[in-house]
Amino acid sequence: MRKLILQYKQAWASLKKKPGFVLTVLMTMGITLGALLCVVTLNYLLLVEPLPYPEQERLFVAEHGLIGAKKETKAVAYTYPGLVHLYKSKQAFEQASMMMYGQDVIVSHSSQPLVNIAYVTPDLHQILASPMALGRMFEASEALDTNNPVAMLSYNTWMQEYNGSADILEKKISLSGVSYHIVGVLAEHFVEPELEIIGRKTQVWLPWDYNQAGKWQRQAFDNINGSLKFIGLLKQEVSQSQAQQLLTPLVNDRWQAGLPGDDDFFKGWTINMHVRSVKDRILGESESIAVMLLAGVVGLVLIACANISNLFMARTAEKQRQMAIQAAIGATKKHLFKAMFAETSLLMFMSIILALVLAQFGFYIMQQYLGAILPRVNELSLTPITFASAVLVTIIFALFFAKLSTRMINYRALNTTLQSSGKGSGLQVSKKTRQVLIASQVALATVLVFANFSLLKDAVKTINAPIGFATDNISTLILNFSSSDIPSQEEAKPIMAEIMEKLEALPQVESLAQGNSPLDGFWVRALTSVANNEKYTPFFKSVDHHYFNMIEQPILQGDNFTMAQRQDGANVMIVNQAFAKQLKADGDVLGMQISTGRPDSFKIIGIVKDITIPGDSPTDRDSSALGSGVPRVYVPNGLGGQSFMLKLKSGQTVSRKQLGTLLAEVDSRYSVFSFNAASAILTQTLFAEITTAVTTTVLASLVFLLAGIGLYGILSYGTQLRRFEIGARMAIGATRKHLITMIIGDNTKAVLAGFIGSIVLFALAYISLSEYIQPFLTWQVLPMVVATLVLIILVTLFACYWPLRQYINKAAIYSLRGSD
Amino acid sequence: MTIPIIKVQQLDKVFSTDDMLTHALQGIDLEIQPGEYLSISGPSGCGKSTLLSIMGLLDFPTTGKLFFEGEDISQLSLEQAAAIRNKKIGFIFQQFNLIDELSIFENVALPLRYAMEPVSDKKIKERVDYCLDIVGMTSKAKRRPTQLSGGQQQCIAIARALVAEPSILLVDEPTGNLDSKSSDQIMATLQTLNDQGTTLCIVTHDIRYAEMAKRKVYLLDGQVLGQTQF
Repeated sequence: MRKLILQYKQAWASLKKKPGFVLTVLMTMGITLGALLCVVTLNYLLLVEPLPYPEQERLFVAEHGLIGAKKETKAVAYTYPGLVHLYKSKQAFEQASMMMYGQDVIVSHSSQPLVNIAYVTPDLHQILASPMALGRMFEASEALDTNNPVAMLSYNTWMQEYNGSADILEKKISLSGVSYHIVGVLAEHFVEPELEIIGRKTQVWLPWDYNQAGKWQRQAFDNINGSLKFIGLLKQEVSQSQAQQLLTPLVNDRWQAGLPGDDDFFKGWTINMHVRSVKDRILGESESIAVMLLAGVVGLVLIACANISNLFMARTAEKQRQMAIQAAIGATKKHLFKAMFAETSLLMFMSIILALVLAQFGFYIMQQYLGAILPRVNELSLTPITFASAVLVTIIFALFFAKLSTRMINYRALNTTLQSSGKGSGLQVSKKTRQVLIASQVALATVLVFANFSLLKDAVKTINAPIGFATDNISTLILNFSSSDIPSQEEAKPIMAEIMEKLEALPQVESLAQGNSPLDGFWVRALTSVANNEKYTPFFKSVDHHYFNMIEQPILQGDNFTMAQRQDGANVMIVNQAFAKQLKADGDVLGMQISTGRPDSFKIIGIVKDITIPGDSPTDRDSSALGSGVPRVYVPNGLGGQSFMLKLKSGQTVSRKQLGTLLAEVDSRYSVFSFNAASAILTQTLFAEITTAVTTTVLASLVFLLAGIGLYGILSYGTQLRRFEIGARMAIGATRKHLITMIIGDNTKAVLAGFIGSIVLFALAYISLSEYIQPFLTWQVLPMVVATLVLIILVTLFACYWPLRQYINKAAIYSLRGSD
Repeated sequence: MTIPIIKVQQLDKVFSTDDMLTHALQGIDLEIQPGEYLSISGPSGCGKSTLLSIMGLLDFPTTGKLFFEGEDISQLSLEQAAAIRNKKIGFIFQQFNLIDELSIFENVALPLRYAMEPVSDKKIKERVDYCLDIVGMTSKAKRRPTQLSGGQQQCIAIARALVAEPSILLVDEPTGNLDSKSSDQIMATLQTLNDQGTTLCIVTHDIRYAEMAKRKVYLLDGQVLGQTQF
């Protein structure tokens, strides 16, 4: 033990003399291992770690797939009555819950916050065994059709909206005209299964009976709703496939029977129930993101490892004389290895401590910025897996670097080192080893820089893609009606007219339109062409006669809607270019009749230019095959709609409070549901792309920096080893040009081998990950390839020249003598 | 009166470290005439190799004048110095300084490859063959330096020094890394070259070989202690 301590003391003393070396190793390995620990923990959490629920292996969701006549999946979403039928049947599942996601305003709260709501049956929290901070979870008294107005709050809502009030269970909250008694607060460590949108956190839980579905929707088998979910514990004796086989006919038969007899839109369609584990559902597409992140970080670690290998080799060469003295006084190869291992393990230990600190910081960053992209990131923390990985990585790298360094030592030749005057000592690392290191650096750097460039280009392309409509100074105001006595369209008309009058009178408002912005979403509507009975499912939106002017979306052919058409509820329709082309190849669709399933069909009166909303994709395969924009249909809205677009004068703002006061003056039952700037919604929509752009830029810069340092390190070391040769060449008349050309020429082979290596790596990646890579392989990547090659070549040229300049810019004797 | 190939006047060389200055050479005056065989000797650290390096334009004096064939070359750029070394000066080092990656032929040819005016391959072959013949190493042309003995490597170094037909050969401890038999052979080769008209300046601490020169210069503590002319 004493010997061990002594060895580490000596190692520390030796390292203290080289602060630059220690700092470089610490920073390089600390940062890259920090990223590695971060991503390893994430991958473990997503791919291996069980969900934090009891019997999570039996926890499944049942999804409702609508299959078209051509056996293609049209949509995955429930109809309201279909879901209730499934829930009541109690088939395949031991216990199950219905869920519906929504948003509402807590009107009883002074700040009237808009909150995320989940309407659930009591089974959900029982299945999840949700831990409670206060009170109770929903129970039989809140079961289906009990209409018991109680609420549960999330821990954060309790803290943020009610300052953690101790008497919260004595309070009530009002939403949409219903007053709910708060019966419980979920514990801080409760983890909500992210079944709808990654990162969405429910703030208020309400009983299923109070969900936002209208009376009509509750009965409609021809209306689907993506926010409806079914989750449950599968029976012990029922397998996943058995459950699917059981549920499919059960749901399909009810759906077929429930469809309106006069609607032949769904003719030939069926329902296919898909039962999948909750873990699988939550993971979704995230698996590929997590694996790609891991691949990227492993690449970074390999580059860093190659860099540090260079440094250790240089250090071993530097310590040759010291080791020769040790050998002369009896140190064996094992002794030399132990001494080297003491140094490498000390350095790796320090690096891993830094890495753990950085990993913790990385978790925070991921929770802040990737919460909407990756599931379960809120569960990230330094776990036993992180620590075990850290210990393993420390041991592996310490052994690797120690072994690498001692492999360089020619033990038998060490004695001659003492006998020589130091002039012209031989090479320590073979040319082949150095060439392999250069080639591997170039190969890894090329692959990683190219991959990052491609992702960056894709993200930037989406961010910069013209959306085709204006968002400047435009905000959407959506009203909340805080009473259960919902007015009809006719009743709402005069109220909305008065609200619009007051909004237009605001000095900040330039213009006003009834309806919301394109960024607030479209519906999907089933339509049929009357001429040929073809069926379509384009995006659908009700807009007023000011809509297209306000967002500056050009009408290419035909007419805009009129106020009279809105008042009369005229059956007219405006389509975009993409839908026009889908209907007729030449796009000449003015006057065409389109059926929505109602007795009277709609006449197309106008064609507008396509718009692009980030993240939108066509709803069926037929339209995606067109290769153009997303098909969209617009119809005139009624006058009783509760959403408005406000175009503010340049530099002007309107507060939510000001709008709240205005609404209260007209009708106190109305409040502000949401008031968001279109530009802010656009930024939010582009969040994934912006995050990708930032991440890939940082990663590409880091890769580039590490590759640059690595190439510089190995080329510098190679040049250092050749200083006597360089001196000899200078002595016989070689000029700077000769020597620069020589060094570049000598390294060209290794760099070319690196480029070939990168092609091999790409080929391997393509074979194993073709489905992810295929979409990127177009001619558009050619400039990326050229840019990557140019960058790598520039770094290599710099790394060739810079270490050489210390010899070629001095008298030849400097190189020949080996010192200043 | 003949113009000396190399002439140094009041030459000083000072090496500086963080806390001290070392006067390696002080006030050296020396001339080397065409065809001369000069040896520079003295104890270790007396400055003989430093003097040779400066005369060979491998290093620069701190002060003083340096003339090559009558031209003042004290203030040359690195590129100009390289050109003179390539064309006018042949070097032979104690460590041989051959390049392991190149064949013997290419090692000898190297100065011609660096020539300012391109030399044809035919001319290079002629010159290399001729020089290898002088040192008796024609049969080794295709080998690598590592396949040769120390004595043979030094012979190759001599051939390389001769290949560009320099005005003078500067030789730094040519036998320092050789056994006595090889040393004698090398010194005999150098003697033959001088007999054929090649100007030689040799640095050695071996009295036996210093005595072979026609003129001997003794250095002590960076100064010329005396000269002997035969």
